[in-house]
Amino acid sequence: MHVNSELEKLMVRYQQGDFSAATTLIDRLSPQLHRFFLVQFTSRIDADDLLQETWLRIHKVRHTYRFGEPVLPWLYAIARHIRVDHYRKSRRTAAREQRLEETPELAAFPETSTDAPDLQALLAPLPESQREVIEMMKIAGMSLEEVARATSSSVGSVKQKAHRAYEKIRERLSAMKREKGSMGGRA
Amino acid sequence: MKDRKIDEILSKAAQGPEGVDPKLLAQVAKSIESTLRAVRPLPPAGLMTWGLVFVCAAVALAGAAHAGFFGVEKLSTLERALIFPALGIFIWFASATWVSQMIPGSKHLVSPGTLLGVGSLALICVFAVLFHDYHTERFVHSGLVCLAVGLLHAIPTGLVGWFVLRRGFAVDSVTAGLAAGTLAGLAGVVMLELHCANLQAFHILLWHTAVVPVSGSAGALIGRAIRFWPILTLK
Repeated sequence: MHVNSELEKLMVRYQQGDFSAATTLIDRLSPQLHRFFLVQFTSRIDADDLLQETWLRIHKVRHTYRFGEPVLPWLYAIARHIRVDHYRKSRRTAAREQRLEETPELAAFPETSTDAPDLQALLAPLPESQREVIEMMKIAGMSLEEVARATSSSVGSVKQKAHRAYEKIRERLSAMKREKGSMGGRA
Repeated sequence: MKDRKIDEILSKAAQGPEGVDPKLLAQVAKSIESTLRAVRPLPPAGLMTWGLVFVCAAVALAGAAHAGFFGVEKLSTLERALIFPALGIFIWFASATWVSQMIPGSKHLVSPGTLLGVGSLALICVFAVLFHDYHTERFVHSGLVCLAVGLLHAIPTGLVGWFVLRRGFAVDSVTAGLAAGTLAGLAGVVMLELHCANLQAFHILLWHTAVVPVSGSAGALIGRAIRFWPILTLK
């Protein structure tokens, strides 16, 4: 709560043209935004570009934030828009260049695996919609309602996605445990 | 494995190195500094919603005033008491949905697709309950005229509505377009209910109601065009 109200005050000062509030917001929120882009299987260079693009867009539409509303759903809704836009553009470019041998996942994997291996490995089997819900809840620390706002969906739908994601993560962790056990047994 | 254990594992995994290059952050700060000035926040969502309701009602009334209030004169008190409040509720929901689509991270009452589907079905139910003249004289010709008149009233509603919300930002232009088209189509339906004196059940059920999904689809298509050619937003 305290963090949220602090962010709200910083946003209002940013709207009033206070540069120190803008830099504080950039310093405070950039790491989690950067992580948000990295976890979605983009390369580090792409994540840097997306982060920059997101802040420029936030700057352009900063008047759409309304005092009293939570900052993180507003911020993540814009970041999500930038990511989806980037994904569409890269798909169109890829189609134009006819790089048929590369699937999107395979093309995006190698660089990221060194940046955040654990979380990415855990979230890898999840569909994008479930992955972003878990990411917002666990990295950004957003509530179900805040995630629903950021993803333009209902709380029920977010709950369902989180539940399904947990089921898949549970299966993956069990499989990893079994693998580890059988390897240990062989040794 | 319990959910709490998965929570712990995920939280631990999420605490990885947060390496954002400080130079990048400095570059971001520098790039916004030159254009940093005070901005006026958007007005309250409720105000914008009622603004859109007003636009919708004004366009419908202006159209009916120009063409004549023949429809509403022919309707019984019960028909008036059911049709216009139902349309009013639909218009309020469509306005609130369009507003929420134009403010990132705002609370969504209902998705524009659901609103269009459920709202159109509700309208069909109201019309089916009220009208029992099953004749179909000049069904296609008069139907197409009503559809065209309804859509002609949707265009100014959509344009003026866009002007009201021009400072907003749609994170999904297709769903925003769908919501805008739905509201614009409703202005057309209200105008038709005020003006059209043809009370044949099939005429109203098909041609009057069709204005909403046709207009909604047109809005979604415009939103899709904006997604591919952002220059169309004129920003």
